Amino acid sequence: MNGAWVTFRKEMLTYCVSPVSWMIAVVFYLLRGFELTFLTQWFGYQRGDPDVFVSATYNSSSTALMVMFVPGLLTMRCFAEERRTGSMEMLMTAPVRDGGVVIGKWLAATMFYALLWLPSALLLHVLEYGPFLDTDLAFGPVFAAYLGMFLLSSMLIAFGCFASSLTDNVLLAALLSIVFDFALMRVPGQLAAQFGDLGDSYYVRELLDKFDVMSNFRDWFARGLIDTSQVAFYLGGVMFFLFLTTVSVASRRVA
Amino acid sequence: MIRVSELTKRFDKLAVDRISFEVARGEVVGFLGPNGAGKTTTIRVLTGYHPATSGKAWIAGHDVEQASLQARQQIGYLPENVPIYPELRVVEFLRYRAALKGVPAKQRRLAVDRAMQKADIQDVARKLVGNVSRGYRQRVGLADALVANPPILILDEPTSGLDPNQRRRIKQVVRDLAAEHTILFSSHILGEVQDVSSRILVIHRGTLRADGPPDELVLRAVGRSVHVTARCTPGQLDEVVRGTPGLRSEAAEPAKQDGYATCQGTAEPGADPTQALGDRLLAAGIAVRELRVSVPTLEEYFTLMTEGSDRHEEAALAAVAAPEVHS
Repeated sequence: MNGAWVTFRKEMLTYCVSPVSWMIAVVFYLLRGFELTFLTQWFGYQRGDPDVFVSATYNSSSTALMVMFVPGLLTMRCFAEERRTGSMEMLMTAPVRDGGVVIGKWLAATMFYALLWLPSALLLHVLEYGPFLDTDLAFGPVFAAYLGMFLLSSMLIAFGCFASSLTDNVLLAALLSIVFDFALMRVPGQLAAQFGDLGDSYYVRELLDKFDVMSNFRDWFARGLIDTSQVAFYLGGVMFFLFLTTVSVASRRVA
Repeated sequence: MIRVSELTKRFDKLAVDRISFEVARGEVVGFLGPNGAGKTTTIRVLTGYHPATSGKAWIAGHDVEQASLQARQQIGYLPENVPIYPELRVVEFLRYRAALKGVPAKQRRLAVDRAMQKADIQDVARKLVGNVSRGYRQRVGLADALVANPPILILDEPTSGLDPNQRRRIKQVVRDLAAEHTILFSSHILGEVQDVSSRILVIHRGTLRADGPPDELVLRAVGRSVHVTARCTPGQLDEVVRGTPGLRSEAAEPAKQDGYATCQGTAEPGADPTQALGDRLLAAGIAVRELRVSVPTLEEYFTLMTEGSDRHEEAALAAVAAPEVHS
């Protein structure tokens, strides 16, 4: 796993010096700042319930931005850029396993993504000291919401790595990833609604429920509930997409 | 150290066709061929970037497909275009590559310093890779190939796109490296190969056309040219020259100066008729003003091996394409 660790460190360095990462951070925090201002004013007036607050925060447009666009933007360069510039040849001829490189890149994108999220917890902490909430902010829902976000994003980032391994066009990789993220957020919910109309099949509904990441998020994680089957679903998704990425990278040797 | 047996690589068309060769420990072998001859493809199979369609290759005894990782550990590879991460500093890039190649953390700094010293790039160590000139970038690539101190270096067109001074420096570096490494380097620039390598492999249209020390190969394939000017009639000179074994000559002509005749000829490949011709002229009592023998260049050889065979192949193709004439 030396390859994974070395790749992880190098990718983290690349993310830290890349202007794209910082632009994402700036846009995210500007948006989140506006939302928080709006919400605190609203909550200050309503003297709201902290659970509702957490739920409202994670249903916000800044969250949608982070889930729909950012995984694709972070991972678009992973392999597409290496292939475009030709550095893939140097990487693939170094004595490292393909899987190690894939894991290293995924881990770096996931960690950087988590680092982007982390300061937003401070924003919640600010609330505790303000006259906004009736009770203390419950730690459970906040932790579960962050965990849920981390798991979902890990899977989306794994897909982003896969999308990036399919092409040498960075923008196409990002687009593929964004379309996937958008579809995952919207399509299963819509389908579930359709099936509700058409009559009920237990298995189909169960399956759609698992894929309906937004309602899982809203109904479970944001309420402080951690369902192991959902955790397994996301981790399974990560492994599935990392496997596909490794196969895709290895198959490029043949081309 | 490098062994290739019946190696074939097919993309849409055949890129490398059943080539076999060996490179022994400590040899510096030039891999010579025109653009598109199959040099890079062969090198990519050796470095594990492409799998072979058929045939086998071994690096230090490790099969490049079955034991790819072990084979790759023995190689320092400089690709034709050195693609490096522009956002990293030279020293950061080399530390990353050293780590990737498994150089232990404690030895990494030393390994990077040594590689930078060998490639003569210490003065750009803190620069961003994206900001260094092409010549330096090529040497950064070379430092990368050297950083894990591998026994085998495979350099693909290490001097392409460089100016003469940069080329000279790279050549010097390669010469210095020859003492410690086995080197296979490809080029289509003949002077370079001749200067640096002890042996050359000529590849053309995917097939290996020649294998041997450059001077020997050239002399074996291309005859020396002979030029004689002597005090006699053209007829006398003709008689002497034409009777020399191993020498084909054109008809002698009167020289510009009165009373002299001149004649040109080509020796059979591998033959050196100078002594025999001198003896014959002496025996015939002819006073020689000039007897010049020029050794063919690698360039002439290369032209013969590549362009000549093109013409030959084109002629063969034309013959196949021509409609048969029935009598």
